[in-house]
Order: sequence, then C-alpha cells, then structure tokens
Amino acid sequence: MKKEDSAPTLAARRAFLAKLGGAATCAGAALGAATLGVVPRAAAKPEVTPDAASFPTKDYDWTKHQWGFGVDATKCIGCLRCVEACKRENDVPANAHQFRTWVERYVHVEGDAQVHIDSQQDPVNIEASGSEKTFRFANRYKDAKVDKAFFVPKLCNHCTHPACVQVCPTGATYRTKDGVVLIDETYCIGCRYCVQACPYGARYFNEEKGVADKCTWCYHRITKGLQPACVEVCPVGARMFGDQNDKQSRISLFIRNSRVQVLRPESGNAPNVFYVGIDKEVN
Amino acid sequence: MEPIIQFAPYTGWVYPNETVFEWSVLIAVYPYLTGLVAGAFTVSSLYQVFGFQRLKPVAHMALLTSLSFMIFVPTPLLLHLGHPERAFNSTITPHLTSAMAMFGFFASFYVALLILEGWFAYRPFIVEQAQKRTDLLGRFYRLLTLGSYDVSEHAMRYDRKWIFALAVIGIPAAHGLHGYVGFMYGSLKSREWWSSDLMPVIFLFSAIISGVSLLAVLYVATCKMRKVPVDLGCLKGLAYTIWAFIMVALVLEGLEFANIVYKGREGVDMIMQYVTGPLLIPYFILQFAVGAITPFLWLSYMIWRGTTGKALVIGVTVCACLVLFSVFMMRWNVVIGGQEISKTGKGLLSYHLPLFGKEGALVAILLTMAPLGLLYVLTRLFPPWSDAATHAHS
Amino acid sequence: MPKHIVRLITLLVTLLAVAAIAKPFLTVDSFYRFGHYRADSVTEIADKELVYQTPRYCHGCHTERRAQWSAGSHKTVICEVCHGPAQGHPQNGKLAIPTDTVKLCTLCHEAMPGRPATQPQIQVAQHSGGQQCNVCHNPHSPKISTAAAKVTGNAAAGKDSAAACSGCHGADGNSPNDTWPNLAGQNAAYLARILAAYKSGDQNDAAMTPLAQALSDTEIQNLAAYYAGLNCKASTGGKPVGDAAAGEALAANCVACHGPAGRGSNPAWPKLAAQKPGYLVNVLKAFKAGLRKDPMMAGAAKSLSDTDIANLAAYYAAQSCQSTK
Repeated sequence: MKKEDSAPTLAARRAFLAKLGGAATCAGAALGAATLGVVPRAAAKPEVTPDAASFPTKDYDWTKHQWGFGVDATKCIGCLRCVEACKRENDVPANAHQFRTWVERYVHVEGDAQVHIDSQQDPVNIEASGSEKTFRFANRYKDAKVDKAFFVPKLCNHCTHPACVQVCPTGATYRTKDGVVLIDETYCIGCRYCVQACPYGARYFNEEKGVADKCTWCYHRITKGLQPACVEVCPVGARMFGDQNDKQSRISLFIRNSRVQVLRPESGNAPNVFYVGIDKEVN
Repeated sequence: MEPIIQFAPYTGWVYPNETVFEWSVLIAVYPYLTGLVAGAFTVSSLYQVFGFQRLKPVAHMALLTSLSFMIFVPTPLLLHLGHPERAFNSTITPHLTSAMAMFGFFASFYVALLILEGWFAYRPFIVEQAQKRTDLLGRFYRLLTLGSYDVSEHAMRYDRKWIFALAVIGIPAAHGLHGYVGFMYGSLKSREWWSSDLMPVIFLFSAIISGVSLLAVLYVATCKMRKVPVDLGCLKGLAYTIWAFIMVALVLEGLEFANIVYKGREGVDMIMQYVTGPLLIPYFILQFAVGAITPFLWLSYMIWRGTTGKALVIGVTVCACLVLFSVFMMRWNVVIGGQEISKTGKGLLSYHLPLFGKEGALVAILLTMAPLGLLYVLTRLFPPWSDAATHAHS
Repeated sequence: MPKHIVRLITLLVTLLAVAAIAKPFLTVDSFYRFGHYRADSVTEIADKELVYQTPRYCHGCHTERRAQWSAGSHKTVICEVCHGPAQGHPQNGKLAIPTDTVKLCTLCHEAMPGRPATQPQIQVAQHSGGQQCNVCHNPHSPKISTAAAKVTGNAAAGKDSAAACSGCHGADGNSPNDTWPNLAGQNAAYLARILAAYKSGDQNDAAMTPLAQALSDTEIQNLAAYYAGLNCKASTGGKPVGDAAAGEALAANCVACHGPAGRGSNPAWPKLAAQKPGYLVNVLKAFKAGLRKDPMMAGAAKSLSDTDIANLAAYYAAQSCQSTK
C-alpha cells in the first residue's frame, strides 16, 4: 500500500487511535451510565409505599400466584364454544383470520399417508358455520373411513422464557410476576417482530389498534378470582386453569397425576400450557 | 372505516393466525437499502483504510451514496409500523435483548458517522464555498464550517486522522447496521427457513456486492451524464471487488441451503416442496442463475481475457445491474419466502403484492428510487468528482 | 487542537449530554418499576370489564332454571354458552333465547369423527326428522330418563291377575274395542311404569286409576311380565281413520323413541305398531291437551293437528307388530 509522504507515521496513527478509543469508551460509559444507571434508580420507587401494597389491584397480589393452564385433548369435542367466547370476552376482531385461541382437528383417513389437519378458520368450516363471526367444524369426514381423529385446543403458552418478550424492541410485551405474558397496547409500536418470533403462532397483529395482540389468559378475569372465558364455557372440561403455587389446585393435580407434555419443547421457551392426549403430529 | 387486511391463500395446514403476512415488501426493501448503505461505505473504506488508490474516483461518491440511502432507510419501517408516532419508544426505552432495539442506536450512530466523515472529507470545499459565495447557499456553507476557516497543514493533519478513524470505525458500524437485520432473521427459532447462524454473514456479503454494484452503475451513469471518460482502472477495481465478494456470497448462500437439506430437520419436506415449486423461479433462476452465476461467469471471463474499453464498461454495468437485481431477490426470498412457509412445517401460503397502498409495489419502488434524487442534490452541494473541486486528499 | 475540532467535539458531547438528560423526562410513567415495561399497563389490563358473568350471576334471579340445570346433564354447560354473555343484563334487556336449536345443539351433539365416545352424539339426519331439539329435550335438563327398570314379575302369577283386565283389553291381550289399547307384546317396562303412574296419581284416567290403585307393586310387575309375553295380533277391519301414507311421513319424527314402524326401541316407551287407531287418536289428543302428562309427548303432540293425529293413528294401526328380531 502506497502511503502519501505527508501522512502521519504508523506510530503516530496508533497513538491517535488509542486516544480516540479512550475518548469513545469514556463517552460511551458516561452515556451508558446516564441512560441505564441513573434512570432506573430515579424511576424505581421502593415498594413500601401504601399504594403499592397490593399490585396490580387492591384485591389481588400478583406475588402470590403462578398461573398455569392444562388441556386434556382426549375430552375436547371440537364444539368451538371456547373460540367464540374468547372473541366476545376480549374484543378480538370478528373475522376468521385472527384468534387468541383455536381448535385443531386431526383426522387419519384410511389409505392416506398424511394426516388431515384443519381448524375453524378453514374455508370449508366457515362455509358450514355460515359466517366469519361464528364457528363450527364441518362434518367433512362423516362418510370417510376414519382410522383415528381427535381435537386439540391451542392458545398462547405464556412461556417462562418467551421468545416474543425477548425480541420486543420497546418493552411493550412482558411477563408479569404471576407468570402471564401481556401486551401494553399503548406502548407497542406495531413492528410485529414478536408475531414472527412466536413458534406457536399465538400472536397476531390487530390492524384496527395497530398493535400486536394475543391471549392474556383473561388476566382481567383471573385477577378477580374467575376463570378465563374459554375455561368457563368449555362444556366437557377439556381446558383447565389454576395456580401452580397451590398444590391442590386443578392444574397442580392435573400435572402431578397425569403424564403431561408441552408443545415444541425444543424451542427452549418453557411453555406453561400442559397437554394430555396430543399425538405425534401435533406441533 | 373497516381496516383492509389482505388474507393470504394457502395450501396444507397453517396456523389460524398465519394467514396474514406480517412483514411485507417494505420489510424486504429495508435490508436492501441498508445493504446498499453498507456496501457503498465499504467502497469508501477500501480507498480510505485499505489504500485501494484505483477507487479514488468513486470514493467520495460512495460516501454521498451511503448517506443518501441512509437518510431513506427508516422510511419503509415507519410506513410499516402500526404506530410510527411511537417509533422512538425503542430508543428511549430500548429492550436490550431485542436485536431490533439496536436499530435506533446503530442507525443514529452511523448517520452521525457518515455526516462527520463527509464533513471532514469536504471541509476544504466547504471552507472555499463559504468564503466565495454570497447567496443563501453561502450561508449554508458558512454554517457548516462551524466558524472555522482553518485549512492549514496542521488542521488538515487532524482532519486526515479523523477521516481515517471514522473510516475504520465506520466499517463495523455499517456492517453492524446491516448485520443486525441478518441476525434478526437468523436468530429466530420459529421459522426453519430463517433460523441459521450464517444469516448475518450472508446478508453482509450480499450487501457488499449490492453496494459496490450500485457504485459501478452510478459511476458509469454519472460519467456518461457529465460526458467524461470512465476511469477504467477504477471500474476494474469495482469489478474485482464484486467478483471476489460474489464468490463468498455464493459459497455462503449455497452452504446455508445445503445445511438445511443435509440436516433434514422436521419441516424439510415442506421446504423442498416450496423451493422446487413456488420458489423455483425467484430462488434458483432469478437470484442464483441470472443474478449471481451469470455475472460471476461474465466477470471471470472479462478478468481472464483482460477485457477493457467499451466492452468492459458495458460488461461491468450489466453485471452490476444483474447483481443489484439478485440481491433484491435474495431479500425478497428470505423475507417473503420465509413467511410463505408455514410455522407448522406442513403448509404453504402465497404472498400477493398489491400495486397501490401503503405497503404496495409503487411505494416500494419509490422508496428505492428516492435516495437517487437526494444523491443528485448532494452531488450538487458537495461535488464528489475527483477531477473537479478540492478535497482533503489530493 | 484546531478550532474546528474543538467545536465539533463540543457539539457532539453537548448532543450526547442532551440525549442522556432527556431520557428520564421522555420515559413514560411507571416504566422500569418492576421490569422493562410500563407497570401501569398491568393494572389497566386487570381492570378491564367482564363480559361473561358466570352462572353464579344468573342464579341470583333465575332460581327455578338453576334448580333444573344443576340437577341435569347440562350442568357443565354454563348459561352463557347458549344465551350469550350476560354483560349488561338485565339492564340492556333480555338475553337471546335460541330458536334454531338444531343448529345450536348439533354444535356439540352431532356425531363427528374425533369426538370422544363419552360425548352423547346423534346422526342428525336420522334422529328427529329435522324437528327442533327442544320438542323432546328440555335444554336445561336434556337427558331423557331412559330408566327402563327391569321387570322381575312372574308371568304365571300375572295371568291370574289379568282376569280382571280381559274385559276391556281382551282375553289374549288384544283389545276387542277401538278405544282400549292392545297390551299383548307391549314392552314390560312400559307397562310397569304406566301402571305405577296410574297408581301413584302421576297419570290420571277415570277407568285405570281406581283399578291400578287396587294393585300391589308385585301384581303390577307380574301383569307387565305376563302381557309382554303374549302375542300381538294385527288390527282387523274397521274403517280407516286417516291417511296412513301421510301418517308415515309424520312418523319419521317418532322413530327415535318408538322405533321404526313403531316396533319399539327403548323398553321404557311403548310400541305403537298395530295399536288400536281410536286409542292412539285419544291418547295423542290427551297429550296435546295436557290431560295425559308427559313432557316429551306434550312437545311432540303440540304441533300435531287433528288431521295429523288421525293420519298417524292410521299409519301405526296398519303396521305389523311382529318384531323382525
């Protein structure tokens, strides 16, 4: 490499770079301290103030619960009452493309190598229900030779290590102390990174609100001692919900007394929806 | 008003929430733009840091190009966001585990760096214009001088040190700016088509070839427009750079695909079905055969035969155009292609690109072309031609 | 250092300082309190209104329904599943009462591959001939008690007791009169049940009530066993009371309980094949008027006109009662 005669010597160049590097590090450290160190200390209030005694509501203390959800897929009859109830309870867009919870049907037809999978949003099923606002499974396998068939309800798994929370650039989605993953719809910028990151397809983008959205385990119900809407309306008890801190709660007994599985354990997300009765094709 | 949501048709089994494509063509345009930024800056650094003297005629144009495209980089993102007015949330309270949160900082830092480096590079010109002009533009140049007209050898020594330092820091900055996008895709475990350790590197190397190609096309075009002869040495330098980095890019992209096929993880059947079906033309034909292998072979031929003169100019320009096209196809195939393969691994969706609308083809084309308009303005304000005004380096 | 470098550095440092100082002012309230999120949003979400109110809310007023529902087989199906969420009720008026019960009930009860066998399911096309479900089923306690109690009576002893019955019902259980029903070959469990009902007063008939009251429970069992074992005969002659072909079309609605061609299905319910037409007409009219009490039959008979009743009676009377078993 040909250098110009008036260029500084190599040693001088190195010295300058060293000085620049030092200056940059100092500036960076100062900036870092200012943004990361000072602000949290200034913003964090000690939790002994009277109005912080019970959070998030005065009748509910989130440090006392660890919520969990159970699904017994052997009981599910695919009636889709849960899907409709969730849409009404949580003001989910009334269409056939955005769901906080859904039900999948797996059918093995004799002679077919591939399993047939559909959910309530399949056009054939929408036709059977007659509307995008109400849901029903069409009895499309009525006349087929079915070897095996079952239904699997699905919803957000409220993972312990959620990929969606990890990738959110602003902190609009987060995990609460009682184990529920929520979305702050006044803070979300609508980049949809979280929608891409979720391995389970639990999230969707609410076009009307311009933010990401998903199942909240009906946080507004469970903090009042009630069940999520989908659990409440299930006529056969395929869904169950409870406090994993309470050893005698329905969910604790379910986990303890059955061989439970989670979906996609290899994702490392550590989901908190526990399944009994799912099969090899369910992922 | 009823919001208009496009629902994608699909085959097989897809999750109920997947029938809406969340990341549209704008999200393919965005890494294309940052790639051009990084690639153009690489040309500038090849001259400033690595001393490739033959690239001098394009060195300053490279800086201006990088800056023009960088200014437009946030626009596809802002158009895509559900709440663009809240965009600064990720800068005020950046979630440090999120690769996307780094965007605000990388982008701001890099814009500042580009402006600084351009400022240093053009200081003598700015000082000269500040002293010479009496019109409104003169005020503009005077403001830029920060009140100092010192162009003595002592001052120029400092300037050269700063330029060098900025050029050095700029390389990781530019590549960080573009590389984090590749990392965003590569680190997602939800989609088999994206999840790959090689993704950031693939993005970077294809960015470099796109940026260098852009410079080649712009250089030839501006020479034609200014009616000056093309510096064949410079063009050859650009051609060599494209040629070398195409090889690396091809190897990396080939490796990535080979890994998917060879590892044969769950979902590979759907990927193979997709790649040999809907993606056959965009991936194998357009991105690889037409856009990468053809220019590679042609450039190899020209290098081997020592082509020069008009044939070289035409050859390099056409190859550069093909590479630019190929790199866009690569972004498309990754962003859109990745979403067309369902997370279930058992279904395929198909993306429909609308012509009009906030996230349509017209907007995408406009956003890609607009930086050229800004570049034109910048070349008027800060002429980069090495045969004209004075620069920090002679 | 040259002037312009000093000024540049000052400018950069100032910008950085401004950014650092501005950050806490620009950060929204309650952010960072418990983590990297706005703590107030947790409270905002927790404070949202309930839409579904749960059965406890309904039970406050609807006590009778509650009693039916909580004792029935639908006690796992909450009110709001069928009636919609109770938010704003009763202030905003009544909740919907489903009218298209076929559409509603088959959501859960249509036989479909994938539904576990523990779920009661029907083949819709063959179940009720398209009738609404609530014709036979009470939605709040839908299970039709199919308690066909086993009849343990002694047929021989029954024969002795039956002497008193032959005057109206025939010596061999085949009635000589159009008004009184054949008993031969009738389901024993039904006979036992209806006699017990006459005895207890659940059913009222001027003739049967005093007769049944004179019987002991053992005698009822014996009589049922005896008549069930007798051979029925096809009904003979008599002018036709109605159009049997029209009756056949209507009878599709009756198959679920009375079996094909009225030959019986559940032993708790009577066979109708070859029964006296006059008797059938009287009984259907009695069900319709509420004089004979059975909630299912009341529902079934409600929509029948007198012509329908005549046609049904004609059809069943013409059927062969010999079981194909």
